[in-house]
Amino acid sequence: MKKIFLLMLMLLLVACGGGEETPVDEADGADGGGVEVTEGGAETGTETESGDDMGGARPQPDQIEVAPEGAAAPPQYEGQTWDDILAEANGQTVNFYMWGGSDLINSWITGYVADDIKRQYGVELNMVPISDATEYINKVLGEKEAGQDEDGSIDLVWVNGENFRTMRQADLLYGNWSQFLPSSAYVNWDDPSVANDFGFPVDGYEAPYGKAQFVMIYDTARVAEPPADIAALIEWIKANPGQFAYPAPPDFTGSAFMRHICYHAAGGYESMLGEFDQAVFEANAAACWALLNEIEPFLWREGATYPESRTQMQDLFANGEVSFDMAYNPAEASSLVENGRYPQTTRTFVFEEGTIANTHYVAIPYNSGSKAGAMVVANFLLSPDAQMSKAQPANWGDLPVVDPALLPLAWQALFDTIPRGTATLPTEELAAHRLPELQAPWLTAFEQGWVENVLEQ
Amino acid sequence: MLAPALAVVLFLFGGGLSLALVQSWGYVPGVGWGEGGAYWAVLTAPAFGRSLLLTLWIAGVSTTVSAVLAVGLALLLRRPMRGKRFITALFQFNLPIPHLVGGIGILFLVTQSGFLARIGHYFGLIEVPADFPALVYDPWGIGIILEYVWKSTIFMGVIVLATLQTVGEDYEAVAQNLGANRWQRFRYVILPLIWPGLLSSSILVFAFTFGAFEVPLLLGSRYPSALPVLAYRLYTDVDLGARPEAMALSIIIAVIMGLLIAVYMRVTRGIR
Repeated sequence: MKKIFLLMLMLLLVACGGGEETPVDEADGADGGGVEVTEGGAETGTETESGDDMGGARPQPDQIEVAPEGAAAPPQYEGQTWDDILAEANGQTVNFYMWGGSDLINSWITGYVADDIKRQYGVELNMVPISDATEYINKVLGEKEAGQDEDGSIDLVWVNGENFRTMRQADLLYGNWSQFLPSSAYVNWDDPSVANDFGFPVDGYEAPYGKAQFVMIYDTARVAEPPADIAALIEWIKANPGQFAYPAPPDFTGSAFMRHICYHAAGGYESMLGEFDQAVFEANAAACWALLNEIEPFLWREGATYPESRTQMQDLFANGEVSFDMAYNPAEASSLVENGRYPQTTRTFVFEEGTIANTHYVAIPYNSGSKAGAMVVANFLLSPDAQMSKAQPANWGDLPVVDPALLPLAWQALFDTIPRGTATLPTEELAAHRLPELQAPWLTAFEQGWVENVLEQ
Repeated sequence: MLAPALAVVLFLFGGGLSLALVQSWGYVPGVGWGEGGAYWAVLTAPAFGRSLLLTLWIAGVSTTVSAVLAVGLALLLRRPMRGKRFITALFQFNLPIPHLVGGIGILFLVTQSGFLARIGHYFGLIEVPADFPALVYDPWGIGIILEYVWKSTIFMGVIVLATLQTVGEDYEAVAQNLGANRWQRFRYVILPLIWPGLLSSSILVFAFTFGAFEVPLLLGSRYPSALPVLAYRLYTDVDLGARPEAMALSIIIAVIMGLLIAVYMRVTRGIR
């Protein structure tokens, strides 16, 4: 609570400070905050600029500001154009509920994103950090129960997987809207890993935000050569008791790690693709619990307890209590090295059989009072400029979800220049080692099964 | 005069409680009525029994240790001495500090790579973090108990000290004249005098530690966890079907605490 309050206070200060400076939609470079770039605007005309915190000037190609051809306007906006939505959004405040466990991501949102949205579109972005998606689901659910179907307290949420499915099934989301966003033209909707969120069809109820892939993190000063695959990792854990841990599922990262072990124990993920199948699950899960219980005595604290969260896991790794960390973000280790939290010798690796990858999204609750503003924010997050800024290791290092092949040539060239952090694997190596996520019911079943069969045993 | 305050309490507290009751019978907002049977499911789950035992253990040990230390401290502090005012102020300084802050302090201090472990490492007492005893995230809830003792000792000590100071030393002087030794004076004079305050504050501390959530979440092991933490986990379960169980568990905790309050009222009424 305290943290939320402080952040809101900070946001308020930022908002007040920014408000005095520039009227919205004014000329470029009027904001005193960032390094402004005003080049190439002569030919391109309506230039949209961003306060770019990567240091140094960089060319900024044009961005589209009309809805993709043939896209139907979202509900409540029938017959309107993107310009109408922009006009309505001007002056709205968007309460963005998102996982707040990373200072880096938080400051990217409250800094670069909030500032730019405020300047370009007159939309106020109010970031509300939470620790778990169920917090906002409960909130929207509570509002629905109380009959507050308009002007709800949440306008935009960072969501994916089982939480998206839960919200869709309880009719808590507004839609469909995401294919109407001008920036959605850069999204390859034919890619099944984008059009489906953990196997559940997106159907325009959420807009892609970024891509993520699971990686293991280690310190070369402690472990010279990381295990090549999961079998080797299991050997390593047994040979080095007390030096390995994984966050307790349903923690997001811990759950992903568990699935790797389960894929391995099942001899591959293939049998589990598609709809949930109880019989297949039981057969595969039994082998997985056996393996996880087999390594339990060799874990940190002999497996008597598990780190509560990924944040606690980071502390364990940074303090040298464990030798491996893990992240569902290939660039996070580099960011932590840059921040000085992890040693310079930190590196990442993927298993030979691959690691799980997915797409994350933003969605709008059905009772948001600032839907136009929320769509503008979602569109901005998907814009080449934001996607590129987000990909910088110093800002966040999230994998872009826009397909570079669909971008204008000038942007394609820029995307090629995105620097890679010291600890981050090359994009090609990541891409060559990608495993799919399972549909949400599989995840829930594995998470519950883990609690009953591993934790409570 | 009491009506407005009572109305607020009844509306907010009673409203929340009745909503929880309705949901514990199987109503899930946005989904409708479920099967019910949440109470049975909660009470028969293996996690419930172990969590109940752990919670009773934490509350019981914290209260007992705090009570003993509180009496000792109060006996020490009531004697006239130099700098008494300063020591008493020092004694009370942790009263306004929130439990959450205390919990984080304990975490920094006694975790296996924490402050004490680092001092131990500096003096060569421990080599790797695992050499330091596991005091947090441990199955016995030692870190949690440490935090509660740190906080509750002062709370109870202040109450006992206040009683001792009102009573004065006359009774003890009489007892000493009649030939009572130190132990007898404590057992037959002081203890009966401070007993009511000690007992009622013990019940308060016990009820608080039984229902408190933040410290066990911060310092407790993943399994078993304290009952309020278990309720929170059920409440934040991604499966909305777990909601009735979360509510049922909350009601069970509320009932146990209600019983404790009834005992407390009984005890305090019996004294006056």
